[in-house]
Amino acid sequence: MSPKDNGWDPNSLLNAWIEAGTNYWLTAANNWTAMPNMAEGFTGIFGMPKSQSMDSWLNSAKMWQTMAGGLGAPDMMESLLKGAGATPEITTKMLRVVWGGYFNLYQLWLKKLGKIGETTEAYKFENLDQEVFKNWVELYEKEVQPYFHMPQVGLMRFYQERMNLVMDKFNLYRAAMSEFLHLIYVPLEKSVHVMQEKFDELSKEGRLSENFKDYYNMWIKILEGHYMTLFKSPEYLQTLSRTLSTVAEFKTAQHEMLVDAMKSLPIPTNKDMDDLYKEFYLLKKKVKELEKKLEEKD
Amino acid sequence: MSPSKIPVDMILSKLAEDVEKSQDVIMQSQDVLLGPLETDIATTPYEVVYEEDRVKLKYYAPITETRIKTPLLMVYALINRETMLDLQPGRSVVQNFMNEGVELYMIDWGYPTRKDKFVSIDDHVNGYINNVVDFIRRRHGVDKINLMGICMGGTFSVMYSALHPEKIKNLITTVTPSNFDTDKGLLHVWMKGVDVDRMVGTWGNMPGDLMNFGFLLLNPARLMIDKYIGFFENMNNKVFVENFIRMEKWIFDSPDIPGETFRQFITDCYQKNLLIQGKMELNGKRIDLKKVTMPLMNIYGRYDHLVPPEACDRLTKSVGSKDTEDICLDTGHIGIYVSSKTQKELTPRIFDWLEKRDKDEEKRRVVKPPAKKKKAAKSERQPKASARTGSSVDKKKRANVGGQKA
Repeated sequence: MSPKDNGWDPNSLLNAWIEAGTNYWLTAANNWTAMPNMAEGFTGIFGMPKSQSMDSWLNSAKMWQTMAGGLGAPDMMESLLKGAGATPEITTKMLRVVWGGYFNLYQLWLKKLGKIGETTEAYKFENLDQEVFKNWVELYEKEVQPYFHMPQVGLMRFYQERMNLVMDKFNLYRAAMSEFLHLIYVPLEKSVHVMQEKFDELSKEGRLSENFKDYYNMWIKILEGHYMTLFKSPEYLQTLSRTLSTVAEFKTAQHEMLVDAMKSLPIPTNKDMDDLYKEFYLLKKKVKELEKKLEEKD
Repeated sequence: MSPSKIPVDMILSKLAEDVEKSQDVIMQSQDVLLGPLETDIATTPYEVVYEEDRVKLKYYAPITETRIKTPLLMVYALINRETMLDLQPGRSVVQNFMNEGVELYMIDWGYPTRKDKFVSIDDHVNGYINNVVDFIRRRHGVDKINLMGICMGGTFSVMYSALHPEKIKNLITTVTPSNFDTDKGLLHVWMKGVDVDRMVGTWGNMPGDLMNFGFLLLNPARLMIDKYIGFFENMNNKVFVENFIRMEKWIFDSPDIPGETFRQFITDCYQKNLLIQGKMELNGKRIDLKKVTMPLMNIYGRYDHLVPPEACDRLTKSVGSKDTEDICLDTGHIGIYVSSKTQKELTPRIFDWLEKRDKDEEKRRVVKPPAKKKKAAKSERQPKASARTGSSVDKKKRANVGGQKA
């Protein structure tokens, strides 16, 4: 889906973003200069002469202002986009892909930011905020993964393919692992919320304990309950299964690449050894059977 | 909001006290942690009387007059090690049996390596266990022996008893899963969705560390946080530290599980629940639980989170034996063996149960003259016996020790 289909105009958004960036850095630079004492403190810490650090900071800000100001001007934007239109189609396509990817990610961040501060309900693990991870994987599969699956050519094509596969599987494994770790973290967060509520309750009833250990015991019990609920939820089971699969896929891809690297070394690979072990296992089994038959004959 | 009644000053002063106490504990713990500690496990002397591949058979000689005449074989799980049954003096199942005059044998499955990845459940049950049982029968000149299985080892023992009922006199299963179709234990829930073929394809054998990580995840609040908070609070207590370290040594001593065995156990047991239905097969031979006709004692823990009662209590109703007994103890999966309280209850019940069946058989013999005794085996091979204690032998040495081959 293109950004425009979504009802957004990427050009105006880019323009607004540059303007916002310019304003931010200029404000930051102005604030910095308006706080000489603070600046002095920092320069003291880093041991740099005040004028040097301040000058480079202001210079960078001015450069950005000039560049961004120029970029932000409507005529400049127009000529830039016209130029882009004149470039070969592939360049335009790439620009669109990069911009589209950035735009999708930006939307995700906005959604995520909107969720900060939302309270989570205790002992409930349905509809967890896993959309971020799913969207990230979706984005990765749509925008980045195809590059790793591009057909390779030439003498080294197989090696390159395997290397690309490792990178691809690693990215998917990392995404799944992040989601899994996030899930494991959720009960901690929820248990803290419940503790806050318990504190309020106990406080209202005037039953607060002076003993810190009582609170710890209360918390660990709540945490245990949350984990038990989480571990039985379909969300957890799906994530666990996905994580184990991506770990296995990454490990397999990594192994195949290592086998390539080991070909030049006088070391047998796992596959070589497994073939040997299988033969050894079957032979041993046969020998044991024959030995038993001989014993029975005797 | 109502006015706050939080006694902040009291809480803070208590907190300060606790911090001071913690500092004292840390200071005192230096003496304990840096001093000599007795943390060896499995120190009861034994003899290795039989060896086959990585598998060893340990023999613990009784230290009193033999009370139960039939020798007993203990089969432990492939997960973790049998050293748990002899964790420390005074909390040792092995010593309890020796004190009661039992001829005790125990299988040490060793540490499977990559070359063991093709070893299947059939190789364990109809291979190693069967060879060990035959060896003990020959050694004692008996037709049948007593068999006691622990956890997955119990499941293997049930399979063995169904396939070779003529060699087993009494069967005892402890915390043994036989019905896998339950959602009470998290393991049962998790294993249903595991892509076992992919796992075995990737790792070959199932890594012990990965299994252990899974076990920790069963209750992270207790096993990854609270347990170590407890350790921190008692670091100045030498006895506590020694016991804690012994348990840590046992828990994290996890051999890998042979790939093919893991694959079949997960697929046929956890995912298809074939065993309890009498549909599971080993090398083409169906395991018919109706053929388990010997007396059966089935022991499990009410609070077992790994093998919940629902996974154990269908066994006695599914076997062919009429002499069955279910015992549900108020303990967990490990507590059944290491809790002093449970030990006081459990072991005497097992001895009494076995002794009663020994005596019943004697009575039957008096009434009816016994059939002509069949020679247990035609060729008796002398075992290579070497006395050693478990703790003094390292992994490499275990792997290299030569011995009698079946």
